[in-house]
Amino acid sequence: MSCKSYDWKAYALGELDGPARSQADVHAAACADCREELAAVRMTLNALSTLRDEEIPRRIAFVSDKVFEPRWWQKFWNPNFAAACVIAGAILVHAFARPAENSARVQAEIDAAVNKAVAEVEARRAEQTERILSRYDERFTAMYKTTAGLVRQ
Amino acid sequence: MIFREVEDRDLIAKARRGDVEAYNLLVSRWEKRVFNYLLRLVSNRPGSREDALDLCQETFLKAYQNLPKLEDPARFSGWLFRIAHNEAFSLLRRKRPEIPDGETPLEAQASAESPGRLFPLELSLAVDGALKRLSDDQREAVLLKVYQGFKFDEMAEILDCPVSTVKSRLYAALDTLKLVLSPVMVRGGQ
Repeated sequence: MSCKSYDWKAYALGELDGPARSQADVHAAACADCREELAAVRMTLNALSTLRDEEIPRRIAFVSDKVFEPRWWQKFWNPNFAAACVIAGAILVHAFARPAENSARVQAEIDAAVNKAVAEVEARRAEQTERILSRYDERFTAMYKTTAGLVRQ
Repeated sequence: MIFREVEDRDLIAKARRGDVEAYNLLVSRWEKRVFNYLLRLVSNRPGSREDALDLCQETFLKAYQNLPKLEDPARFSGWLFRIAHNEAFSLLRRKRPEIPDGETPLEAQASAESPGRLFPLELSLAVDGALKRLSDDQREAVLLKVYQGFKFDEMAEILDCPVSTVKSRLYAALDTLKLVLSPVMVRGGQ
């Protein structure tokens, strides 16, 4: 590789990776011009390093301003919390509202079924009573006729 | 009890949840570096110290306001210096540099002074003067690389330009600094 292909500024600034750095080291060991160029870059960087950081004249710090702080409910009010509220509401409605409606409907159905059954039983009993009474009636009539015939004889 | 170092990302996470004290701790870690970067960047303007301090405060305020937008907390330093860069250049575009007419170039000053050993303070003053004579872009490239230790690709992100542009600015700056400082360095025995 020619001398121009070596980037001595990148080398001195620590931007070369391992293999490129090793290759540059080998070249610099054999090339006086490149060693001189590298030394000049390093001298400039050394001079720059003499400039020290200054202390900051006033420390920077921030305070929380209560006026801009979110209110207690705003701290909770975020999309996740809102979604949780909706789900919790749905669960509560399902738990309390729907069963009450169901139980009333079921109770009405039970009452209707019971009333229907009672009505059927009462109708059957009335029919049986009617049949028994008509049978007694017939027997009584027959007995009356028999008794009346005996008396005439 | 287990002790561990509180890292920037821990403080960033707390600050994002509104913990101002965590953010103040983060500021205390970075304020000196950011202040010195800004101070040297605006150093060729009058009132540079006050400007640098104002810019520094503005940088940290904007960083706090935009903290939720920081995608990768591991890249906080580059992100912070990008804000500082934007703040500084909005000022630099408004305020033109004021170099008094007839001021002797540093090279001429260096060669005109009497020969003799240069003290470290004199050398650092010469470096300070040499940096002020660079263009804003070149000076910033030197500040980010030599004083803040950013890699070329990080500098490209901070400055929002290609790596090739970063290198050309930095290399041109180093060539100028070598030319300006070499007489001083020779006398100082560097």
